[in-house]
Amino acid sequence: MNRAADQPEPNPLREGLSARAVPQPCTIVIFGATGDLTHRKLVPALYNLAADGDLPPAVEIVGFARRPKTDDEFRRDLEEATRNFSRQTVRDEIWKNFAQSITYHQSEFEDESGYNALAKRLDEIDKNHGTRGNRLFYFAASPDQFEPILKHLKAAGLNQTCEGSWARVIVEKPFGTDLASARELNRIIRNSFSEEQTYRIDHFLGKETAQNILVLRFANAIFAPLWNTHYVDHVQITAAETLGVENRAGYYEHAGALRDMVQNHLLQLLCLVAMEPPTDLSADSIRDEKVKVVRSLRHWSRNEIAANVVRAQYSKGAINGEPVVGYRQEKNVNPDSQTETFVALRLFIDNWRWADVPIYMRVGKRLPKSATDISIHFKKAPAVLFNKDLRDLNVLVIRIQPDEGISLRIHAKVPGTSFRIEPVKMDFHYGTSFGKASPEAYERLLLDAMSGDATLFARRDEVEEAWAFIDPIEEAWHAKKDAPELFFYPAGSWGPEAADDLLAGDGRAWRRL
Amino acid sequence: MPAIAETYSLGLPVEVSKIDQELKKLWQESQGAATRASLVNLAVYSEDAGSLNKNTQLMAKITENHACRAIVIEADCKAQENRVESWISAHCHVSRAGSKQICSEQISFLLRGGCTTLLPSIVFSHLDSDLPFYLWWQEEFREPMDPQLWAWVDRVIYDSQGWEDFSAQMHLLESAEQEANQRTVLCDLNWTRLDNVRFALAQFFDHPASHHHFAKINSVRIDFAPGFRSTAVLFAGWLAAQLNWQGKKTEAANKFSFVSSSGRKLDVELQERPGDPIGEVALATPEVEFLVAHAKCGDLLEVSRGNPGEKHTPQLMPAGKNDPVSLMSEELMRGGPHHVYLHAVNRVRDLL
Repeated sequence: MNRAADQPEPNPLREGLSARAVPQPCTIVIFGATGDLTHRKLVPALYNLAADGDLPPAVEIVGFARRPKTDDEFRRDLEEATRNFSRQTVRDEIWKNFAQSITYHQSEFEDESGYNALAKRLDEIDKNHGTRGNRLFYFAASPDQFEPILKHLKAAGLNQTCEGSWARVIVEKPFGTDLASARELNRIIRNSFSEEQTYRIDHFLGKETAQNILVLRFANAIFAPLWNTHYVDHVQITAAETLGVENRAGYYEHAGALRDMVQNHLLQLLCLVAMEPPTDLSADSIRDEKVKVVRSLRHWSRNEIAANVVRAQYSKGAINGEPVVGYRQEKNVNPDSQTETFVALRLFIDNWRWADVPIYMRVGKRLPKSATDISIHFKKAPAVLFNKDLRDLNVLVIRIQPDEGISLRIHAKVPGTSFRIEPVKMDFHYGTSFGKASPEAYERLLLDAMSGDATLFARRDEVEEAWAFIDPIEEAWHAKKDAPELFFYPAGSWGPEAADDLLAGDGRAWRRL
Repeated sequence: MPAIAETYSLGLPVEVSKIDQELKKLWQESQGAATRASLVNLAVYSEDAGSLNKNTQLMAKITENHACRAIVIEADCKAQENRVESWISAHCHVSRAGSKQICSEQISFLLRGGCTTLLPSIVFSHLDSDLPFYLWWQEEFREPMDPQLWAWVDRVIYDSQGWEDFSAQMHLLESAEQEANQRTVLCDLNWTRLDNVRFALAQFFDHPASHHHFAKINSVRIDFAPGFRSTAVLFAGWLAAQLNWQGKKTEAANKFSFVSSSGRKLDVELQERPGDPIGEVALATPEVEFLVAHAKCGDLLEVSRGNPGEKHTPQLMPAGKNDPVSLMSEELMRGGPHHVYLHAVNRVRDLL
C-alpha cells in the first residue's frame, strides 16, 4: 500500500494515472515451473496483468524445473493452461507478444551448475531486455526443495544485486509444519535473503474483500466506536468448502485442516478484523499491528484444548445430492487416518479491545456449501422497550468468497398495527455495485512483489507466532495419552455436534450460511 | 413488466409528479427477480433532437459496469410552449455471478421551452438521495450557469474535443466551479481519451535510471486524426506541465516549442493523419526514441524504445477505445480529482 524504502523516485508522468506503487522491470524465475501452481495460477495471472497493461515494459519469465523441455514446448503448455484458467479470454496477439518473454531453464534443484547457468542467463536477459538486474524468485516447488534452491541461489550470487536493483523471493505456504520447522525454514531463507527480500504469500490476503476489511474498519467512522468488547458479543469466522481432499491426500494427510487453513488463512483474517489501527499504511506498520493480535491469543493448556477445540473427519455422505465417500476411503488416504478435515475453535484475544469476546472459527471440507466469511455479532440492546423478547443480534457479515460483500442485520417493525419486530438485512454485493471484475489474488500479489510492497505478505514473526499458537493443539491431538477425541461428521453436514456444543454451551449458535 | 424487460426504449411514459410512485411499482412488479443497484446519479443533458434514444442506448451499455440512477434529458430550448414529458425504464444485466438481474433505473425527460428554469428543478426532484451527482453535459456551456445547479454537481463530464472556443468554455466552467467552492471535479473526455497513451509513455520512465532522458528530450511528434488537434495539444500540455517545460513559442499552427528546465529547446510538432485520435507519439533524445503507436489490430498500442530510425521490437498494451461508452466507463472508473488535467490545460490554453 505504501512505497517501500527501496522504491525509486516517482516518475512525474505517472502522476494521476495510477494510485498504486509502480511495478519495476524484472525477471521472474519460477522454481517448479512445470507444476500445477505455475499453470493454474501464476502464468494466467501474469498474462492477465500483461493484457491489462499492468506489467512493466520489461518483464521476463524464466521457468526452472527438472523435466527436459524446449522453450517452445514450455510456452505451448503454458498457453493451453492459460486458455483454460485465465479469468479473461486469451487474445492471440497478446499471448504471442507475452510468450516471447517466457523461457525455460532445465536443471535439477540440487545441481549447482544449473544455478551458475541461470546466473549467466539472467545477466544476458538484463543486457538484452532491460530488466535492470531485478530478480523475483518464486518458489512454486515443494517445501522440501526450498533449502537446496536457496543454498544454490546464494552460491551462484543470485541473492545479491548491484546498486539500484533488487532480488526478492516469494515463498508459498506451507511455511513449515510447526514452530520448529517454520523457524528452520526462516533460518534457511535468512541465510540467503533478508526479511525485506522475503515475501510469504497467503492468497487470502490478495482477495478484494480481505483488503476491504481495513477500509471498512478504518474509513468508516460508524464502526470504530462499536468494534470492541463493549459492543461486540462474539465473532465467527467460517471457511467451508464442499470439496473433499481431491488429489492432495499426500500433503493433506500430514497437514490436516488446522495446519492447512487455520494457521495461515484464518488467523490472517482474524488479524485484519481484530488489529488496532496502524500508524500508517506501510507494510510494517500494518504487520506490526497484525502480529500483536496473534501474540495476544490465549494459549490453552492441554486440558483446556478439548473444551475449546473440536476436530473431526468427514465420513460418507452426500454433497448436492451426490453420494461421496468418507475421508478414509479417499485415494491415498490411510484407512485409519486420524487427520482432521474439520476444526472448530473458541479463541480469546487477551488484550484491552477484545477482552472476553469469544472468537469462534470453523473450517471444514465436505460441508454443505463453499463459503468464507466473517461475522461480527453485536451485543443485545438493553432488555427494555422492544428488546424483551428479541433473540437475534445485530450482525455485520463480511463475505470473503464467493459473492463478496457486506451485510448488516438490523431489527425493523413489521408494517401493521401491532409492534412486531423482525430482523432485516441490508446487503452490499461487490458484483452488484461494481461491474468490473476483481483481479485474481495472485495478480495483485505478484504486482505488489514487483513493486516492493510487502503489506499483503506474511512477515516472519507473524508466521512464527501463529505456529506458537497452533503447536500446543497439534501436540495435544497427537499425545499418546488422553488425546482429545476425533469426531466424525457425514459429508454434506455442518460438522459434528461437538462443534455446535462449543457455542451452545455459551448460549450461542453458529450462523446459518 | 415491460419497462424492466426493454433496455433500449424509453420505457413507460409517466407523469412527472408520479415518477417516484411508478418507479416503486416497477420494482414491486419485478417480484425480487431483479436487484436495483446504484452508486451515483448520472444525468446526461443534450439539446440534440433524438438524443433521448441515443443516450438511452449509451446508458444501457454504461450501466453494465456502472450501476447508477440514470437521468436522461433532451431539451428543446427554442420551443414556444413549456412542457415536460417523462418516462421510466430500467437497464438490467445478468450479474457476474450469473444468477441475478442487476438493474439500474432510468428516468428520461423531454423538456420543451424554458430549459434554464426547468433543468434544476427536474434534476433536484429526481436524484437518488445521498449519492454523488455526475452531470454529463453534451452541449457547449453558456450563460447563465445556474449556481444552484452547479453547486450540486460532484463531477461535470464534457468533451472539449468539439468545442469551438476552448478558452470561453473553460472560463464558464471554472467560474461555475468557483461558485461551487471548488468541489466540482472537471472531467474532460478529451483528456480521458489520452489515458492509455499517457500510461504507455509513462511506463518508459518508471525506473529512476531512465529519468536522465527527461533532460535530453529535444523533440516531440504527435500524430492526430482530423478533428482531434485539441487532443494532441492537450497531450503536449501534459508533457510540458509534468516535465516542467516553460516558455512556449508558437512557430506555426502545429509547430511550437518549449524550453526545458535545463534550458534546452524542445520542438513539438503535431501532424494530422487519418486514423486513431492520437495515432502515434514519438519522444526523441539524441540517443533514444520512445515510441507509442496504435497497432494495426486496433485496440492495442505498440510501445518501443531504441535508436532513432531503427526498427524496435514493441511491447503491446491496451489502447482503449474512442467511443462514448468506453470513455465514460474509463472516466467513471477512475474517480478522484483531475489536477494534472488542469496543469496540462494551463500550459497550452491559448493553443486549444
